[in-house]
Amino acid sequence: MNILVGVADMKISNDPDSVLVTHSLGSCIGVAVYDQAVHAGGLLHFMLPDSSINPVKAQQNPCMFADSGIPLLFKTLYQLGGKKQRMRVIVVGGAHVNDQEAFFNIGKRNYLAVRKIFWKNNVIIDYQHVGGNGSRTLKLAIKDGRTRLKVSGESELEI
Amino acid sequence: MAYNILIVDDSLPMRAVIKKTIRASGVSVGELFEVSNGKDALILLKKQWLDLVLVDYNMPDMNGLELIAEMKKDEFLKSIPVIMTTVEGSRQRIKEFIAKGAADYIRKPFTPEEARDKLYKVMGGAADGDAGPDTSTETLDF
Repeated sequence: MNILVGVADMKISNDPDSVLVTHSLGSCIGVAVYDQAVHAGGLLHFMLPDSSINPVKAQQNPCMFADSGIPLLFKTLYQLGGKKQRMRVIVVGGAHVNDQEAFFNIGKRNYLAVRKIFWKNNVIIDYQHVGGNGSRTLKLAIKDGRTRLKVSGESELEI
Repeated sequence: MAYNILIVDDSLPMRAVIKKTIRASGVSVGELFEVSNGKDALILLKKQWLDLVLVDYNMPDMNGLELIAEMKKDEFLKSIPVIMTTVEGSRQRIKEFIAKGAADYIRKPFTPEEARDKLYKVMGGAADGDAGPDTSTETLDF
């Protein structure tokens, strides 16, 4: 059963029948985390790096920003028994798909925000597929943590 | 088993960054030692068991290659693997590092993932499986 993760959204699950899916990862970044020991995982799709540009918005929807969404992703997965040390971490996106994204360099800034937050919190990335100018789709199967990536114009691949 | 690692670099900020990077890498680390020069490294190496040395190539008084040469003269120290850390990356230089006894090299600055891959390559795989990042000493957001 596919569970859609929208833009500025996050879903967590330990239901083995669930597959978390997010589309339209342009300059946005998708962060997928999975703990094999408890068969639980989560997928975050955030848009912007820094919540300080709009704290009110960040309160209403922390998933919009890297610095509010990523801690939320991990902390929510902890509630399902996930442990950071066991998690497989995948980062996808950070492209510049249109002129505006390229001009403001949002994709790159999003990626740098992820690196900075992970650096500060001792998280290493197990796999990443970032940059370029193609839109991406990311899928995480909760049953076994298998993750699939599709870049526009290319075949889907397991990562 | 967790590895005891010595960092040799004449830059204090760089030693701090390397320590943090190694702790974040997920490699099982016991104690992380640091010194600012090759002479102090040799003194420490004779007092303390260390599994791995990360040494900066470019240091005054005794550079990284000179430290390796000194270690090679000692019956015990010669078996300790040394990874050269460097901002240089020329093939010639890398060949020189390996020819003169470095186990490997890693270009600075490096990421936790690069540190993990390099340490596992040199040390022969994970120590007691992946212990995960060290979260014991710092204030973390999550």
